[in-house]
Amino acid sequence: MMCRIDKVIQETPDIRTYRLKFKEEGIMERFNWLPGQFVEFSLLGSGECTFCIASSSTRKESFDCSIKRAGIVTADIHTGLDEGDEVGIRGPYGNWFPLEDLKGKNLLFVGGGIGLAPLRSLIQYCIDNRADYKDFTILYGARTSADLCYKDEIADWRKDPSLKVILTIDKPEETWKENVGVVPKILEEVVKPVVANTKVITCGPPIMIKYTLLSLDKLGFAPKDVITTLEMKMQCGLGKCGRCNIGSTYVCKDGPVFTYEQLKKLPDEF
Amino acid sequence: MSVELFVTDKAGLTKFYEAIISKNETYAPVEKFGKYDFKRVSSFDACNPDAPIAQTMSAKPLFFPRSAKIMKYTADHSGTSVKETDEDSLAGKRVILGMKHCDARALQVLDKVYNWDYIDTDYQRRRENTVIISARCDKAETHCFCTSLDYDVEHSDAMDVAIVNGTDGKVFIEARTEKGKVFLKEMNIEQRISNNEFQVTDETAPAAVKQQYEAFAASFRLKMDYTEVNARLSKIFDSPEFENVSANCISCNTCAFVCPTCHCFKISDEKVKDTGVRYKSYDSCNNGYFTLMAGGHNPRPVKYRRWRQRALHKFVYYKERFGENLCVGCGKCTNSCPVNISIFEVVKQVSETVSV
Repeated sequence: MMCRIDKVIQETPDIRTYRLKFKEEGIMERFNWLPGQFVEFSLLGSGECTFCIASSSTRKESFDCSIKRAGIVTADIHTGLDEGDEVGIRGPYGNWFPLEDLKGKNLLFVGGGIGLAPLRSLIQYCIDNRADYKDFTILYGARTSADLCYKDEIADWRKDPSLKVILTIDKPEETWKENVGVVPKILEEVVKPVVANTKVITCGPPIMIKYTLLSLDKLGFAPKDVITTLEMKMQCGLGKCGRCNIGSTYVCKDGPVFTYEQLKKLPDEF
Repeated sequence: MSVELFVTDKAGLTKFYEAIISKNETYAPVEKFGKYDFKRVSSFDACNPDAPIAQTMSAKPLFFPRSAKIMKYTADHSGTSVKETDEDSLAGKRVILGMKHCDARALQVLDKVYNWDYIDTDYQRRRENTVIISARCDKAETHCFCTSLDYDVEHSDAMDVAIVNGTDGKVFIEARTEKGKVFLKEMNIEQRISNNEFQVTDETAPAAVKQQYEAFAASFRLKMDYTEVNARLSKIFDSPEFENVSANCISCNTCAFVCPTCHCFKISDEKVKDTGVRYKSYDSCNNGYFTLMAGGHNPRPVKYRRWRQRALHKFVYYKERFGENLCVGCGKCTNSCPVNISIFEVVKQVSETVSV
């Protein structure tokens, strides 16, 4: 289905958020998704890419895809697409965060760089259903302060006294007054999360996820209480093309959301 | 007396093939430079239903084309529009002659992946509209190992009509599916019987068919218990042996191209000026870029990991997911491999490094 770009937000030097609405009337109302699901995003002529939906269906007038300029198609998207342009969208595909399991729990979100995008969908969803959840902590890091996404929205989150937001960057900067250090370090030394009755939801670059999982393990979190969303090369999104296979798992159908407990059972190939 | 098992001779079979070709949209192996590929044929002389396995491409492209248009579009400053693709040239009622039983079996294996969750309707229509006529081999070729795998080669219903050579020039023709029975009726089986081209069989026929199978089964050079192999391979992910067995591979992907069960594909766009086409084309897990993501992360960055994926997808992962080996033992990959890597030997060598 064709979508029209309603708004483009330059989040960081290499990340843009595209706010999309279906061109044909009535489709937006029928387009239902849950946090964690993804779409296949087409720039006709360049190709198709897999992006998570970075906003919540509780805010349904449009939906967001935050896109980092990383490869051929994403470079074409950044240079070629602006407000009013059209893109093709297939989806939503994949599974979603285990929303029922999160009810009544403390939520700890741990995000790095563009990895905040899938978490943002869930964060918005949980904020819109705030009464269902207990303590709410967001730890978000990026390489530099310029690489932090959703700055305006983070400022809004900080105005809400029921949300605790902790930011960090990898190296010190003159004007930066908050935490400095990689995400797993800040997690252990600054956040020091309560383990009891807490679910952790994490997403970020592979190296961050790797060390964050080790830190969470050290802090005493059970693997079943740690949830992440995997990035794998995908093309069809329909459990056919074979690209996203990890063992007998199709990340596009059985994932992209997995608990650490599930990940431990998969062959080490992601 | 069987109503589905008939007997004829070479001349009767040729007449039968000729009639099939004249009355149906028929595909059969056609020779070019000593190799065979399945083509649309209009006369019996143009094809060879008895083409050897080693020189024959599989019939997979008749169900899953090497490259297919999935979408056409125009995109310019005034906006975009998506158009229907051309009509599917493989969707009509048709007959395939000369498919080996391993090739036919491969389609049953592929049905599993095409029919779970999202149904590939193009594939399904092509399957439904095709009658498969398959001659059972008389003798195994060098790299054949179908009888080692866990499917019933002897009584396979992967083909609609099976042809079996008996002794004394006898040829048995057997409908193996409902579709096959209907097809034989459509091909005037009764008239052929009254013409004496075909005869109904007596009680000795099943024994003769069995005898042919036993002689065929005894002709295999390669034999291995794949139930045991499945069990061994399922706990071998970290074996360093994968590096040794894949060392010679030049990542040309020929094995996946000729394989009747390999089904990985890529989706790509080609656009000239304002008009573009989106294609679905064969791809292979042996390609270095197969899992390469934008930004540079690649879960299978080295060759042995890609070979491990190939071997384990065939003999562990697909089996776990869909209950079948993603291999039918046809030996095509080995016949075509430019550096002589045999999947049978790879699996044997790797699985021998662990005990069950």
